[in-house]
Amino acid sequence: MTASLATSQAPAGRRRSTRRRLGPVGTSVLGAVIGLAFLIPLWWTVVNSLRPGDETFRYLNPLEWRTFFTLTPTLDNYFALLDTDLGRAILNSLFISLVTVVVGLVICATAAYGLSAFKFRGQGLVFSVIILSFLIPFDAIAIPLADMFRDWNLQNTFFGLILPGLGNGMAIFLLRTFFLAIPEELVEAARLDGLGPWGVFRRIYLPLSVPALIGAGLMLFLFQWQAYVWPLLMGTDRDHVVGPVALSNLQGQFAVDYGVLFAASVILILIPLAIIIGFQRYFIQSVSTTGLK
Amino acid sequence: MTTPTTRAGADPRARRAVRPAPPARPTRRGRRHPALIALAFLAPALIALLVLRLAPAAVALWDSLFRTSLLGGTQFVALGNYFELFGNPDFQNALLVTLVFTILINPLQVATAFLLAVLYTRKAAGSKIWRSLVILPIAVPPAVSAVIWSVIYRPDGLANAFLDLLGLPAQPFLTSPQQALASIMVLLSWIGVGYWMMFLIAGINDIPRSYYEAASLDGASAWRQLWTITFPLVRRPLAFVLVADTVSNLLVFAPVQILTKGGPEGSTNLLMYDIFTRAYTLGDLNTAQAEVVILVLITLVIVALQFRLLRSED
Repeated sequence: MTASLATSQAPAGRRRSTRRRLGPVGTSVLGAVIGLAFLIPLWWTVVNSLRPGDETFRYLNPLEWRTFFTLTPTLDNYFALLDTDLGRAILNSLFISLVTVVVGLVICATAAYGLSAFKFRGQGLVFSVIILSFLIPFDAIAIPLADMFRDWNLQNTFFGLILPGLGNGMAIFLLRTFFLAIPEELVEAARLDGLGPWGVFRRIYLPLSVPALIGAGLMLFLFQWQAYVWPLLMGTDRDHVVGPVALSNLQGQFAVDYGVLFAASVILILIPLAIIIGFQRYFIQSVSTTGLK
Repeated sequence: MTTPTTRAGADPRARRAVRPAPPARPTRRGRRHPALIALAFLAPALIALLVLRLAPAAVALWDSLFRTSLLGGTQFVALGNYFELFGNPDFQNALLVTLVFTILINPLQVATAFLLAVLYTRKAAGSKIWRSLVILPIAVPPAVSAVIWSVIYRPDGLANAFLDLLGLPAQPFLTSPQQALASIMVLLSWIGVGYWMMFLIAGINDIPRSYYEAASLDGASAWRQLWTITFPLVRRPLAFVLVADTVSNLLVFAPVQILTKGGPEGSTNLLMYDIFTRAYTLGDLNTAQAEVVILVLITLVIVALQFRLLRSED
């Protein structure tokens, strides 16, 4: 029935398709135009970071080739960055993110192991606590949490900035999915060889789960690197301010050196970009696991 | 040639060594107190999640039922703060702005991500390169995106330079009550669309090629194949993307705080920013907590809806 319908409609469909369908060339051109449109803001940022701040708006009226290219690139803005609070802020961001990845991975991987390698009563309850914890978005509860941290005197401390990033329900979920796929026989063999629960975790689970660990590490890293609300509430003095907050403070000032502003933006983008590109495969894998399962 | 044989040889031997044992021994070792051992592994994460995620939500709920007066007394007011909020014109405006924002940005971003995913999974020259250019901005933190676009949107900035090239008059963008919200949507989509597109590309790549070949033989046009094959088969990732995108857009804060401070004329006063100003500029923490509870509830309802939708499909 459907087949005959389809064949009877075929000629009309074909005629329509020749009119509507984009050929391979059309597809390429459209894809290229859209891709380049997405690139423009980033490209313009990079070019502006390579020329003096007073030239930022020089070639915009009208647009010309020099808007997007410079023949005399200079790294002066990047060197100037070293003397400002922004340089310090970017180092703070880096420190916070790296500590979060290392400590957070330990906490999340042990939790995932506890959830997947054992069967015990109350497991369902524990699992639902973890699910619920990532259904409540962190930014939404940042203000009540900041109020709690003020009572505990954790304001303006790296401890206070790092702490909320450590327990990540999504990362635990990702690692658990991966751990569940580890063959039972392997674990039994390790037990027979005399490994205790910790030994099984360290010698069997961790080495077999490197891709998932990298994926989870990326999640923990990006959570901290992109954070804005929490550091705005927590790290308010210049020793604890993080990159994005320092950058937005600079933007709000009266006289802005746009060259330095763009140089800081480039660094704040380049670091996560390099990490994502370096671990692209694991990133996509973690994205699809958390999204589709 | 040698590796496969040695592997094939090694594998069964290992299995033979393992197989006979399980029935006898594991009951003796390491399984006496599985709950205690498991909880020991789970403890750090559970404490972190309970204290840093669930407790603040509970605190917000509890605090929202009280009111602290200027004299220092704290008084139980039950749902008083909620009634006050819903009667407050600023909050009503924030709800309305958030609603308009949600209704516009989510379908737009998801539709764009879907169409781009379709475009970039077609066989065409350079498709992978152009695709990665769209994905590139996902590395940009929202606050950095806001700062970059603040320069682009300046009256003498890049956006107006492009309008001039097209022969269009200069626009005020962030300083216009009619354009500010749309301007924020653009900079959020710049960093968001590529991210959501990745999920949909993964979904499209899972569809067997043979479906399209069969459809082509039957003479179905590309347009028809898109709606009868691609669209129904990526429904699951699409539903996920729509919900995850909606939740993340409910939490938009950095661009508003950096670019517009909720203005002009309250036109970009999204819920997250309204909570922030209520708590810190107005110093009314109890009412702000009530607003936090409302935001968390909205999020949970949206996510629950997703589970409903996905389950009924199975």
